[in-house]
Amino acid sequence: MPYYLRVLRVVGAIEFKAKYAGAALGYVWSVAKPLAYFGVLWLVFAHLLRTANQTHDFTIFLLVGILLYTFFVDTVGAMLPSIVTGGSILRRLAFPPILIPLSASVGIAITFCANMTALAVFIAIQKVTPRLEWVLVPALLAELCIFCVGIGLLVAALYVRFRDVVQIWELTAQLLFFASAIFYPIGILPAWAQKVAFLNPFVQVMQDVRHAVLGGPSGPNDVTAATVYGGAAGRLIPILIAVFIFLGALAFFRREGRYFAERV
Amino acid sequence: MAAAIEVAGISKSFRIPHEQRTYFKEYFLHPFRRTTYERNDALQSVTFSVDAGEFFGIFGPNGSGKSTLLRILAGIYVPDAGRVRVNGLLSPFIELGIGFNLELNARDNIRINSTLAGLTKRQLDEKFDDILEFSELERFVDQKLKNYSSGMLMRLAYSIAIQIPFDVLLLDEVLAVGDASFQEKCFTTFERFKNEGKTVLLVTHAVELLSRFCDRVLLLESGVVRTIGRAEDVVESYREGALVG
Repeated sequence: MPYYLRVLRVVGAIEFKAKYAGAALGYVWSVAKPLAYFGVLWLVFAHLLRTANQTHDFTIFLLVGILLYTFFVDTVGAMLPSIVTGGSILRRLAFPPILIPLSASVGIAITFCANMTALAVFIAIQKVTPRLEWVLVPALLAELCIFCVGIGLLVAALYVRFRDVVQIWELTAQLLFFASAIFYPIGILPAWAQKVAFLNPFVQVMQDVRHAVLGGPSGPNDVTAATVYGGAAGRLIPILIAVFIFLGALAFFRREGRYFAERV
Repeated sequence: MAAAIEVAGISKSFRIPHEQRTYFKEYFLHPFRRTTYERNDALQSVTFSVDAGEFFGIFGPNGSGKSTLLRILAGIYVPDAGRVRVNGLLSPFIELGIGFNLELNARDNIRINSTLAGLTKRQLDEKFDDILEFSELERFVDQKLKNYSSGMLMRLAYSIAIQIPFDVLLLDEVLAVGDASFQEKCFTTFERFKNEGKTVLLVTHAVELLSRFCDRVLLLESGVVRTIGRAEDVVESYREGALVG
């Protein structure tokens, strides 16, 4: 097994175990957290406010949004402090520092897989008709991973220099939760706001996954980058942004990484 | 004889800010204040080479740059100038008490450290018991390292360092906190490495170790190589220097 994968496997597994050591329900918590979020939002929007009527199959719609958002935010949140809190090993051993934030994200990926099983159960309960587009979902998730890791590397490297990064990220994550059409259809936003929202690759992935999973009649929830930017070429805009952020963050992390051992 | 380590003109300085600016607020409050630095030239054009199979000592007062030098050799720090070449696999034992995750037990720390150092799963399975046995920590393998004494941590770190396959071993103050019996054990391994033709770099303050084991000794003072030579001569010249200075 190549060196990188071996390290991620060993360190990721140990950190995942350690994170929930001493908690009575262990990693049940990691799955319970997004589901509890989902439950509350579902109650509020499907039953109390009844905005759910505007979207087709609100349950799956909401669950997809929450699970992807949780994955996005938790991945970045785990990578952000990793160099500062776990970087002392860089002072005793020479190895590629990128392994530290990547290892920190392994546990989040495991949790996400468990959560996807929960989604599968809901899809079965809701009797969603299987569609050919489902095969696109792994590719979309791969794009989301690239985007998350890009942002994660960027903030992890910045955090070594500036301790404000945590506060900035927490605020950003909060704002994105309300701005990213997670619990409301993006179609209710004005056209200009949709254009802005789709600059965020997370929004594009979420909308495409919803579209792939649910399909159905084009309602306000069925808006993709192609609709917003007009034409198939518009699809490329958020994808290119994700790739650009990833490559830029990687280069920045490599440059900064040479000096992490001196700074942590 | 082929050189195991070649060091050509390496320099390293650290900039120590007079006031640490880690929050943006400090930039907003004092936008025109320039951050001033204290420059610390830890190493200045250090040049030497170590032959394969040599037991090489590095000696010098506190703050003379010994640990910085070792870290550069280990690839942990990047030198500002100069070139370092290490032929063969290198295993470092650097500064006590860092690099372990104190919230994890010895078992997990051994696995993380050895995997990062490049051991495959099979190699690790083979070496794991050897590491524990040498460190004599079998009883404490499932305890978190935060409950370990500094002597126990040192034993664990040394055991890991010598079980990783290496041609060149870097040892920084390895015997500082060990008890007498563990010291004896380390000396036995030193003899073994000499017989096996391994290259060892030993940083120490203990003069008797230098004359007992080292073929040659480098005296480092304020980041500059003062002299390289036989242990007795180097220690002698250090003492004279200290008396005159």
